[in-house]
Amino acid sequence: MATRPYRAVAAALLLGLTLWVWALVGALFALRWNSIERPNPPLRALFPYGEMRIGVDASYPPFAAAGNDGLYGLDIDLGTILAAQLGAPVRFVNMGYDGLYDSLKADQVDVLISALLIDYSRTDEVFYSIPYYNAGLTLVVPSDSPIHGMSDLSGLSLAYEFGSDADLQARQWLRRITPFTPRPYELPTLALDAARIGDSSAALVDATSARLYLRQHQDWNTSLIPTSDALYALAVRTDHGLTLEALNRELEKLLGDGTVAALIAKWL
Amino acid sequence: MQTVPARAMIAAMNAVKVAQPFISRWGLWLMRVWIAWAVLVQITPAGPRAPLDAPQTVQTVHPVVCVHTRLIDEVYEWVIQRSLQMVREMGADTIVEFFPWAYAEPAPGQYNWEGFDRIAKHARNQGLHVIARMGFVPAWARPKETERQTTLNYLPDESIDEFARFVAAFAARYAGVMDQIIIWNEPNLSFEWGYQQVDPAGYARLLKAVYAPAHTANPAVMILGAPLAPTLEPSGSPNGLDDLLYLEALYQAGADPYFDALAMHTYGFTEPPEAPPGPQTLNFRRAELLHNIMLRYDRPDKPVYITETGWNDHPRWTKAVRPSLRVAYTIQAFEWAEQEWSWVDKLCVWAFRYPAATRSYPDNFTLVTPDLQRKPIYSAIQAYARGWERSTDLWLPAPIAP
Repeated sequence: MATRPYRAVAAALLLGLTLWVWALVGALFALRWNSIERPNPPLRALFPYGEMRIGVDASYPPFAAAGNDGLYGLDIDLGTILAAQLGAPVRFVNMGYDGLYDSLKADQVDVLISALLIDYSRTDEVFYSIPYYNAGLTLVVPSDSPIHGMSDLSGLSLAYEFGSDADLQARQWLRRITPFTPRPYELPTLALDAARIGDSSAALVDATSARLYLRQHQDWNTSLIPTSDALYALAVRTDHGLTLEALNRELEKLLGDGTVAALIAKWL
Repeated sequence: MQTVPARAMIAAMNAVKVAQPFISRWGLWLMRVWIAWAVLVQITPAGPRAPLDAPQTVQTVHPVVCVHTRLIDEVYEWVIQRSLQMVREMGADTIVEFFPWAYAEPAPGQYNWEGFDRIAKHARNQGLHVIARMGFVPAWARPKETERQTTLNYLPDESIDEFARFVAAFAARYAGVMDQIIIWNEPNLSFEWGYQQVDPAGYARLLKAVYAPAHTANPAVMILGAPLAPTLEPSGSPNGLDDLLYLEALYQAGADPYFDALAMHTYGFTEPPEAPPGPQTLNFRRAELLHNIMLRYDRPDKPVYITETGWNDHPRWTKAVRPSLRVAYTIQAFEWAEQEWSWVDKLCVWAFRYPAATRSYPDNFTLVTPDLQRKPIYSAIQAYARGWERSTDLWLPAPIAP
């Protein structure tokens, strides 16, 4: 009778050890499997029409816009590079924002690259790629500021665009921390002006507005502190898993080797 | 002081001790687990309830203010109640709400009014009038999927009488509560007409079929002709038909005796409310062109309800304006309707709130967020409707470098 507990403990240890060994073998196998360079599937398997048809709403500079010489912008460059890496001819199909997802469902295009926010309610009908840009709200403060997040604003002042998402987020924070002085402005650029000239301790704007403004004010040393996420990603139909896999693989490379960062720096 | 769950736990543990000599070891463990589960269930907070308050009345000095709600797909009753409280507090005395046929008549002649009832009772409790919009065809009233792929907006000719019976049943049930009923939505769009070629004569037949049974069921009912989508689609387009052309064709099909008032949709897009209308322009005053057609074909005093209007402040949509302009234009639109459009009964802003965010530009039509946070435009409309002193300094002047 006295040996019973020891047997149970030994059996539990043995079971735990077995599971641990299997988990280790599985992890090593997965690491090795993923490290093998495999060629992409044939072009027709990724893009049945022999070309990468990209749906884009070219009314949103600097991501996509239409000019006399055709389409241009960050999304256009990204799509062109991805198609080249996959060895596919590229064709951009310009359409209104409302029609993007419908055109994907109706097989008018193979992939959407159009500053698309990941929308979890659509994940039953589309696959999203890994994100390539975060357009969420960001605090813009002078680089020597003691502010490192929204909770450091107590007793200070915050500039933002009246009626924008930043306005909503500022009012939510006002209920959580010791009050700060809200300073709404008519435009995001005016909010950033206020932070730059010292009228406000910080400005809360979307990342794109912040980057575009800072291009014009390169002498202003700032820190950008993200406060919310708005992730842009590519979208393909759920029956195009191979295409998603290939796009993700190439996108990961572009994120890793700094190509995407260079594109962001070029356009924003 | 011990809390009630703590006292219950102690009592349960004592009970286990008393029972110990009479129960096996496994039985004791089972008993302990069961008691722990029972105690944990007791400390789970109850879901929020939505008991009716004392009947309320709307305080407004501008009764033209109205809002289109989206309550039918709301899961929680307390959110419906809170939304309607916020509508009342904003100073709108009327809402427009969608009541889908497919939700209430899952099988022929079998009605389930539960979802409609909870909106009606809370609206009445808050002192709000409700304009009901009807549509959405149940699967049993459409062709079988094996015969033809259809959408919820596809109403076959053989189901028109079924729809008319449903509208009559609705009119009878909600007589005195919802006496204004809009028949269908934007039938000049192919999408809203079940992806068929749009057909003004077909819509006229639908109005005729509905009109008499609804009036028999509720003599006080007012049947509203469907609002048309503002669009410039030419005749023969697969997407739809220009709203001006459609309304003209509807009158020519003899529809005028079969609607007591006309609903309209008019959006400002990027133009201010006073921007002049034109046949090839989509803006707020396009409603005047529709009304001119009414005057040519119909009695001059037939009322108009603008059941969707507004501006959008999405940062990327090309038909949107900045949030500051959206506020200014919306208030100016109310003033314009009151001063210039004596024929307009209500001007309803699209939309009060969505049940969930779309994560796209439609979110920027709303007055409050899905989690019921007020946007500044809500406060601006509230100040206007309630006659409060309106703040003239919603935002600060441009900063000036020292």
